[in-house]
Amino acid sequence: MKRIALAFMVLLTATAAFGAGKLTLMQNKPEIDAQLKAYAAAWGQKNGVTVVIKSIGGTSGGMGPQLKADYAAGDMPDIFAFDGLESFKEWEGIILDLSKEPWVSKTSVAFKYNGKVYGFPVAVEGWGMAYNADLLAKAGIDPKTLTRYDAYKKAFEKLDSMKSELGINAVVSMAASVEMGWVTAHHNFNSLLANGLPYGDLSVVNDLLAGKVDMQRLQEYADWVELLFKYADKSILLTGNYDAQVGAFATGKTVFLHQGNWVDPNLKAANATFKMGFAPHGSMKKVTDGIFVSAPSFYAINKESKNVALAKKFLNDLVTTPEGANYMVKEAGMIPAFSGISLNPDGQLSKSVQQWAAAGKVYSWDQYYFSGDFRDKVLTPIYNQFAAGSITKAQFVDLMAKAFKDNAQK
Amino acid sequence: MTKKTESRIVFWVFLAPVLFAFIMVMVIPFFLGSYYAFTNWTSSARVDNGLRFIGFKNFTDSLTDPSFLYSFGITFVYTILNMIAINVVAFALALLVTGNLRFKNVYRVGFFVPNLIGGIILGYIWQFIFNNAIPSLGSLIPALGFLADPDKLMLSKNTSALAAMVIVGAWQYAGYIMMIYVAAIENIPQELIEAAKIDGATPWIRLRAITIPLCAQAFTVTMFLTLVNSFKQFDVNVSLTSGGPSTMLMGQPILGTQLLALNIYNTAFISNKLSEAQARAFVFFLVLAIISIIQVYVNKRKEIEL
Repeated sequence: MKRIALAFMVLLTATAAFGAGKLTLMQNKPEIDAQLKAYAAAWGQKNGVTVVIKSIGGTSGGMGPQLKADYAAGDMPDIFAFDGLESFKEWEGIILDLSKEPWVSKTSVAFKYNGKVYGFPVAVEGWGMAYNADLLAKAGIDPKTLTRYDAYKKAFEKLDSMKSELGINAVVSMAASVEMGWVTAHHNFNSLLANGLPYGDLSVVNDLLAGKVDMQRLQEYADWVELLFKYADKSILLTGNYDAQVGAFATGKTVFLHQGNWVDPNLKAANATFKMGFAPHGSMKKVTDGIFVSAPSFYAINKESKNVALAKKFLNDLVTTPEGANYMVKEAGMIPAFSGISLNPDGQLSKSVQQWAAAGKVYSWDQYYFSGDFRDKVLTPIYNQFAAGSITKAQFVDLMAKAFKDNAQK
Repeated sequence: MTKKTESRIVFWVFLAPVLFAFIMVMVIPFFLGSYYAFTNWTSSARVDNGLRFIGFKNFTDSLTDPSFLYSFGITFVYTILNMIAINVVAFALALLVTGNLRFKNVYRVGFFVPNLIGGIILGYIWQFIFNNAIPSLGSLIPALGFLADPDKLMLSKNTSALAAMVIVGAWQYAGYIMMIYVAAIENIPQELIEAAKIDGATPWIRLRAITIPLCAQAFTVTMFLTLVNSFKQFDVNVSLTSGGPSTMLMGQPILGTQLLALNIYNTAFISNKLSEAQARAFVFFLVLAIISIIQVYVNKRKEIEL
């Protein structure tokens, strides 16, 4: 008995000792997993600590379950990623106030709540309508004119009539299956919320959250969604996954792609060498000359962690050391969210996002003001049925309006 | 130490590891979960969220949610179709590989192998087949041109997507059930079949009067396994359809192929209602327990009758 007790003691102290020299980070971008691990290993060696990186991607159902399981098990990571207001609220009780960190003054996109800074912006990302510049030039369309609904409608009609000349299957690569709900009910949905408004203007969001629907705006948005669905590759629209959607654009089978600059590595892997860039969404009759740019997710530090000082240093070193900057920009190919980093990413679409941002032509990301429940379980099915043609545009508008009203009553 | 106490110690020592695991991962979570079903527990660090006892609210909320009711219905439909598909295919395969067939052991292994592939991977493989392989077959062979029509993709409509799930389910599970039938068929005394042959019984009559009745015990087992497995289907559901495409019920847009297990998962982790998901899981358990008890009871009675 004594011997067993002794063995237990040894085991306990061993795990305790091991636990102290360990910094855990859980993040939601599997595409940068290898790069982050390599950087973290080097950083850990310098600082005498083992850094464990856990990467779990996907929509709002992606990282959440693991985080909840770890929280219930008392094994919460020291640093974890969250994507916006709704998920911040989920963990508000344990997220550390980072207002006094040195990197705060170097960024404009940190996550703030009630005047305090809680989230370290992982990167800057953007999306609009990614276009194949070569094909547009062939069809004689200037991407600079694509800033409103009517211009897109004309361009889509023209491209559609030139299908065989251009060697394309369809005009747009758009995905609207349930699995791809993040494209419709998260990204495309944001056009309704933020397009054409000053950066950070929440007037439409707040109205919709209160159940007040601007029918004019919703009608114009429905026209835009209809246009995208009508000229999309049908099989990708209804059943395609991410690979199918990006693949069609990468191989020149569509002129437009409804995704953001995170597809750069995928396009590179597919040897897509044509010229490309982003054009604004044409979800309104008026000109909306800008694309959607923001930090996609933020790192939060767990207040209850034993390694708060180390975690703070880890985040700070990402910004202030050359290794950190090199990892963010050159290795992971992300657009840095901080001033004072002179490196630039290589991807064409990332460069396009930087150009739009430098020109100040940006609209915000407001979809995270709506819960994952609302977006994935209420909106995704509506978009899906509209794409499949089982509901009309009028029904789409009615269902959307009803969804906002029901949501406000919850 | 007497022989009796020694054997008793051995008994408990050998049982202990399994018992320990069973209690830790089945019994305790079950009771803890049933308790959480009556609370507002969420396993997150919301500021305003103390653990409160809220009675039957989670249950009433679940039973008034159209998506849960729909998932119930669709799970029943899926279970029945899947049970029929798996058992018919499995029994046919079993007859095939117990007959006079060359390389029958190779076939047995071949039919069994899909069962060794994990459900998630299987779902993605079949997603590729339904979305890419079949349409490109259609564009290659003019006679099968309809397969390339994007409106006819199996996964683009919820009824055909459910059928797709049955196909994948049968493909995955039939080989395993086949093994049980093979064992049962090979246990049938050869002299019975010979006697029947001498009496001039056709293969069809031999099948109906000898093979099927003498496999009754196997049917009890296979029915139970396929019932429970179909009812609990989750991984293929996630990777093949993610619950889509959507449809309407009671004026609300909902996911058209979301089986119960996926509904419970989504309630927990997309809607962040862990306790309500617990309540649903509890209902799920009760219904499944009742159905499988009835099934075993009916099958057992059949065993005696035959």
